[in-house]
Amino acid sequence: MAEAYSLDELMVVEASRHISDWDTVMVGTGLPMVASLFALKNHAPNMCYVVETGGIAPEILGTPSSVTDARVMYRAVRHGSLLDALGGVLQRGLADVAFLGGAQIDQFANVNSTVIGDYNSPKVRFPGSGGANDLASHAKKVLIITRHEKRRFPERCDFITSPGYIDGPDGRKRAGLTSPYPDIFVITDLAVMAIDKSTGRLRVEALMPEVSLERVKENTGFELPDGDTEPVEPPTEAELRLLREEVDPGGEYLKTPE
Amino acid sequence: MTRKASNKVMTAQEAVKRFVHDGATVGMGGQSIGRCAMAVTHEIVRQGIKDLTLVGCNLSMSMDILVGAGLAKRTECGTGNLERFGTTFRWRKAIEDRTLEVEDYSHLAMASRFLAGSLGLPFMPSKSMLGTDILNKQIANGSDAFRVIDNPWDLDEPVVLLPACKPDVSIIHAQKADQMGNIIIEGFTTQEPEMVKASSSVIVSCEELISSDEVRRHPDRTTVPYIFVDAVVVQPWGSFPTSTYGHYEHDPEHLRRYQACARPGGEAYEEYLREFIYECENFDEHLDRAISSARREELRASMQKLL
Repeated sequence: MAEAYSLDELMVVEASRHISDWDTVMVGTGLPMVASLFALKNHAPNMCYVVETGGIAPEILGTPSSVTDARVMYRAVRHGSLLDALGGVLQRGLADVAFLGGAQIDQFANVNSTVIGDYNSPKVRFPGSGGANDLASHAKKVLIITRHEKRRFPERCDFITSPGYIDGPDGRKRAGLTSPYPDIFVITDLAVMAIDKSTGRLRVEALMPEVSLERVKENTGFELPDGDTEPVEPPTEAELRLLREEVDPGGEYLKTPE
Repeated sequence: MTRKASNKVMTAQEAVKRFVHDGATVGMGGQSIGRCAMAVTHEIVRQGIKDLTLVGCNLSMSMDILVGAGLAKRTECGTGNLERFGTTFRWRKAIEDRTLEVEDYSHLAMASRFLAGSLGLPFMPSKSMLGTDILNKQIANGSDAFRVIDNPWDLDEPVVLLPACKPDVSIIHAQKADQMGNIIIEGFTTQEPEMVKASSSVIVSCEELISSDEVRRHPDRTTVPYIFVDAVVVQPWGSFPTSTYGHYEHDPEHLRRYQACARPGGEAYEEYLREFIYECENFDEHLDRAISSARREELRASMQKLL
């Protein structure tokens, strides 16, 4: 039987559930943008969308391909600068939620978007931090949407571009970060992992439909503790309709089921 | 030095000859696929100005071309990429081959360095990058760019100090300028307001030359006043194939064409540089080769729908 929803749709709807009404959310493009727009249209009508490039509370049009795309600037209340958004909103402490991506995420939810291999003689060089380090340093809640593959979840990142809990429960506090104990959620096609604040490590909080904890462990490069998990509620028909008809009508971002 | 209110309109050729020199630190305007100073970049490539240090927050296609043409020795930035259109392949290859020096920052860190420069301050504090390898590995490498001190008013609080970034010259593309060099940027402004004010010289290319009377009628719209600006190059489509907000959208076709050459490098890339830069006398000739007038109309119409 064909699935009623795709894995991308499942991840996006689940991610959106971590956004509350009235949140200020810093978003780029791609799946985080879709999740944020979905939240805005579904349950967070008073959410404030902030774009790194300085757009405050725009109405997003269609399917932007960049944070410089005019589609992320439509009817904004202000067009500003990087300094306005990353300094004046984010470092200032006004971002409730921020989205990150990266090549590697380790057991402390540190993220690498700089290099695979040694920094001084890289095997593969990635684009670098961009605003990601700033988002991970200052936001009160961090959401990461990614495919669940073992190589993406090593014990330790080759390079820590953006801080999770660094090396333990008080790692951020010791480092001097102003948001020392943020919530961090990693939403994958297999599970939702969350930081356990008593250990500073990721644990499986919820499982995607029909996924076992064993399967998550097999696909994760670091050790995950046993413990209670909740099932992730699959998207409802109404949620899928909103997603497909209003949020991503062209299917530009989200694959629908085969 | 405060620049005078003289007529600063000149060709890209003259502006680059006068203000961009071998070994210069160049502030790169634009971000990703938006408002990169492509016309001025092409002119730097044609004039073969080398040993450049390229600085900015996100460095994109303009940086990749200068690296690919062998003219850059170093970058200081937050990211190199074109978002959905992929990474900056010549930059990535140069780092992997260790032929390019890089210093990594976050976007806010670079913006803060330009802010320090624009305020005449030697450094700016930051609360980003703490606890990460952006600090730890670069400090271990002997970089002098990052200092972690205690907040003098709260000795339990570490703060990062970042040195001011003051480019020798910044190159940016704006929607409007007048002949005195007053600049109006519409839409997002990236790090450009601070970067431009921190720079010793500034070249701005613009879509539209407006009168100084018009500037004076709406002085609140001026992003950067003429006292910071040295050269005004009137160049419609000067950010092509990246977009200029309010004027035209980015051109996915040409962006993909560039990326298809930049990714493999070698002969394909040399051919791109030859066809689209070296063999062109100026940027208008590049545009004639790269985009039809019908396509230009489409990109303009498509931007109009988004305003």
